[in-house]
Amino acid sequence: MNGPVGITVSGSGRGDGSLGWTSARAAVAGGHGPVRSLYVHTPFCVHKCHYCDFYSFVDQRDQQGAFVERLIEELRAQAPLASGAPLRTIFVGGGTPSLLREDVWRRLLSEMNGLFDLSLIRSGAGEFTVECNPESATAELLGVLRAGGVNRVSMGAQSFEARHLRTLERRHDPERVAEALDLAARAGVERRSIDLIYAVPGQTLAEWEADVRRALALGTTHLSCYNLTYEPNTAMTVRLKRGEFTPVDDDLEADMFELAGALLAERGLERYEVSNYALGGIRGGQACAHNLAYWRQESWLAAGPSASGHVWAGPDRRAGGHRWKNAPNLGAYLAQSDGGYAPVAEHEAPDRARAVRERIMTGVRLSEGLDAAEVMADAEAAEPGSGTRLAAAAAELEADGWLASASGRWRVTARGWLGADFVARKLMGCVGVA
Amino acid sequence: MQIRNFSIIAHIDHGKSTLADRLMQATKAVSAREARAQLLDDMDIERERGITIKASAVTVMHHHTPGAAADDLEENDPAAPEGEAALTGGDNAHGQLFMLNFIDTPGHVDFNYEVSRALKACEGALLVVDATQGVQAQTVVNAYLAINENLTLIPVINKIDLPSARADEVAMEIEQVLGLPAEDCIHVSAKTGIGIPQLLAAICERLPAPAAPRFTQTRGLIFDAQYDDYRGVIVYARMFDGSLKVGDKIRMMGTGRSFQITDIGKRTPKPVRVPSIGPGEAGYIVAAIRSLADVRVGDTITLDNDPAPEALPGYKPPTQVVFCDFYPATTADAKGSDFEKLRDAIEKLSLNDSSFTYIPVHSEALGFGFRCGFLGLLHMEITQERLEREFQTEVVQTAPTVTYQVVMHDGSRLEVHNPAELPKPGTFDEIREPICKVEIILPNENIGDVLKLCSERRGVFKSQSVVGENRQMLTWEIPLAELIYDFYDKLKAMTSGYGTMDYEITDFRPNDLVKVDILINGEKVEALALICHRQNADFRGRILLKKLQKQIDRHQFEIPLQAAIGGKIIARETIKAFRKDVTAKCYGGDVSRKRKLLEKQKEGKKKMKSVGRVDIPQEAFMAVLDQGE
Repeated sequence: MNGPVGITVSGSGRGDGSLGWTSARAAVAGGHGPVRSLYVHTPFCVHKCHYCDFYSFVDQRDQQGAFVERLIEELRAQAPLASGAPLRTIFVGGGTPSLLREDVWRRLLSEMNGLFDLSLIRSGAGEFTVECNPESATAELLGVLRAGGVNRVSMGAQSFEARHLRTLERRHDPERVAEALDLAARAGVERRSIDLIYAVPGQTLAEWEADVRRALALGTTHLSCYNLTYEPNTAMTVRLKRGEFTPVDDDLEADMFELAGALLAERGLERYEVSNYALGGIRGGQACAHNLAYWRQESWLAAGPSASGHVWAGPDRRAGGHRWKNAPNLGAYLAQSDGGYAPVAEHEAPDRARAVRERIMTGVRLSEGLDAAEVMADAEAAEPGSGTRLAAAAAELEADGWLASASGRWRVTARGWLGADFVARKLMGCVGVA
Repeated sequence: MQIRNFSIIAHIDHGKSTLADRLMQATKAVSAREARAQLLDDMDIERERGITIKASAVTVMHHHTPGAAADDLEENDPAAPEGEAALTGGDNAHGQLFMLNFIDTPGHVDFNYEVSRALKACEGALLVVDATQGVQAQTVVNAYLAINENLTLIPVINKIDLPSARADEVAMEIEQVLGLPAEDCIHVSAKTGIGIPQLLAAICERLPAPAAPRFTQTRGLIFDAQYDDYRGVIVYARMFDGSLKVGDKIRMMGTGRSFQITDIGKRTPKPVRVPSIGPGEAGYIVAAIRSLADVRVGDTITLDNDPAPEALPGYKPPTQVVFCDFYPATTADAKGSDFEKLRDAIEKLSLNDSSFTYIPVHSEALGFGFRCGFLGLLHMEITQERLEREFQTEVVQTAPTVTYQVVMHDGSRLEVHNPAELPKPGTFDEIREPICKVEIILPNENIGDVLKLCSERRGVFKSQSVVGENRQMLTWEIPLAELIYDFYDKLKAMTSGYGTMDYEITDFRPNDLVKVDILINGEKVEALALICHRQNADFRGRILLKKLQKQIDRHQFEIPLQAAIGGKIIARETIKAFRKDVTAKCYGGDVSRKRKLLEKQKEGKKKMKSVGRVDIPQEAFMAVLDQGE
């Protein structure tokens, strides 16, 4: 580790922006470079959707300019950790990134091109994704994005059924999705992914099938299918508790999951993560490289309020990495700067056992699974005895049909995809959890 | 100075605690500023639920001129000193000085024994009846308890300020049902103070003074005892003969144990020390008594060096009629220490409430715990709540059962408090169950439904009589086992809350009773077993299985649930294997969030009890509690 640890901006932080926060400096500066990925969070939305629990809000005061200047300051502080190697992936999420005005985007992209080496991305070997909302993805904006290096968009279609969009409080016209994707193609954005949400209250299996088919008809090579999750503190969960609607039952949800898998497989889109499908699977060149960096425990920088980052503490990855989450508070983000670093809500210092648990957690969700010998050895090194426990748990899961062991890797079975949390809990419970 | 000892008895919620507060305020035992609702109710639970659990005794002073016209009576005794001041003084221009000792009693059916022991210490009682609700089951039962003790009753109609009050009708009901003349009723509103002066006058004039002492030796009746962390047991006693003072060496005539008095006083309601308490008076005594087990309520206190020749008539100790197990609600890892914590809590609580019993038990499913006996369902519920609230313990409570008497082949009798203790079929002649005489007062229009409920619960009709214009009183004999399952809730629901009931156990009778075993994934779970009548076994078993089906999460394998009598399966359900245990989102790069979520779910699982490979949540053990469909 290099650099100071535990800098506090002013007193111990609480989270309302006024009492002071601990900054991200301790986490980021403690990282081992070069870091090859970057996540940027934009908090603005036209409307806060009822199911969404990401940090976002409706900007009433036009804070876009101020936000981007602050973001650039933060990127400048973090950039040295990326120097020495071109970035492999950038992902701008939100919120609704496509809601930022073109001039604001132009300014941000120009700074990013100066601060980071985007050569790999510009050559097409790297990936630069921006999440788009079908309504706000205009030809002009897509042109600006493409010129700035963006080569992938993730289109938030969610559903093609107006009724379900209304339930989700999404305000776009479903017809607009095809148009927006077409504009992206014409702007030269080569890779275009579609996000869908299923298990919306009232949705039938047939309606879900229609949604998946419509996404396929648009020629997409990458699809993310998320079941509607009732997150605490969202309007949707409040409505559920009030009994305003009946959630889709577990069996139907499982049917929907399996149906999507089957329909997409017919067209060559393989499930490479619980909720993600790509033409040719993980190696077909269409899988989201940025998300894979998360799931394979790579390092990534993170900027913007509520963004989460992870950087290895040293060359030996088994020692674990720093994880931090910027404070989900635009006011605090704008007002406070520790030499550019943002206030954080959370910072987890490196921990060997935790690193193994995290690898298990994201690994079981991937089609490539886990390297059994490696994970057992690392667990054993983190906590003697845990490797043996892991082996026993994996054997039990295999006997029960959740996991298959082949070529030295543990992979979930067809049944296991639907029990990935169950499998993860079981395996994670073997390592360093009292 | 004159003395009047009286209790306030009433059906639950008819306002006796409010009336006690108002009497204290009227006699300036408390100033209006100090008055907070239900002054006599000490415990949090009492205040929250608005009911009185432990009887409390309070002494106040009041000036009264016998024969004064009602118009001259004032709500506040102008000559009375404020607050806890002076339990002394004498007659003056405002009249003769009266010492009023009054005892607040609980109204719920479970706490009848508290009522009866309070009555032993009195010459009179105020029978409080709500002017809107009229005579209720507990009114009748409490009134008869008082009449049997030869107490003078003053019927008090409370809440006459309410628009829906029908005081005159209620007075007629009192006359019809209890034979107390309607014109004897005092109409009051404890809330506004109307009628309180007249009530105080009636207490002074109508209630008899304590009888003259019979012996020269000292005799006092212990009518309550409480445990205090600092002072040990505080005994409440009513003196009949002689007096007691600090320094006296006392002897408990029943147990033969001796103690030295270190403190003596009265509650006004604040505790106030007094030099001595004499014949007819009531007060508290502290005598370095370490445990409630050393004191028997109903025992007679006398002086060690000059004991009385005979003890005062005591009264029946309470009988525990409802039993259930308490187990520590914990992780498997911390089993030992949590059991210790529960034991500690139960022991401490029993210092405060000697009316529940407990013995250690062990269950395959739940580990080490205690089988506890209670006076009724509410008593059980309150005990659990007090354990959790006052002692920060979490308990798993099993289904309540009643005491069964098993007559063995050799004629010997076995008391069984737990289905698991039932001897093997073929080793005994018969099982006898407790039968209750149940009195229900209800509106005429609900009679049909309630008769059906009683007969469904294996009841035997005894009698029916009229209470006022719109209500009737039903008397049935119903097995206690049938009452403890939501009978009262059903009655309340059927009568829109107007029906009231009370019961007492009259005898034990043989019946065709069977033990129903519950098997989860093929394993017998003793804690879920139940004893019921053979004709209800299928129904009860099926309902229980349906509840378990809802309570137990789907596992990775299918779980059969079965109910069986002996080896014969009488009902069956299954919990399907789960198909889905995965959340779609990984929260972007917020890996920590997902990790914490999974770890928390893992923690949640630990709190369950495992039977074989099945995790059973604690609520499932409660599922046996109510048999509602």
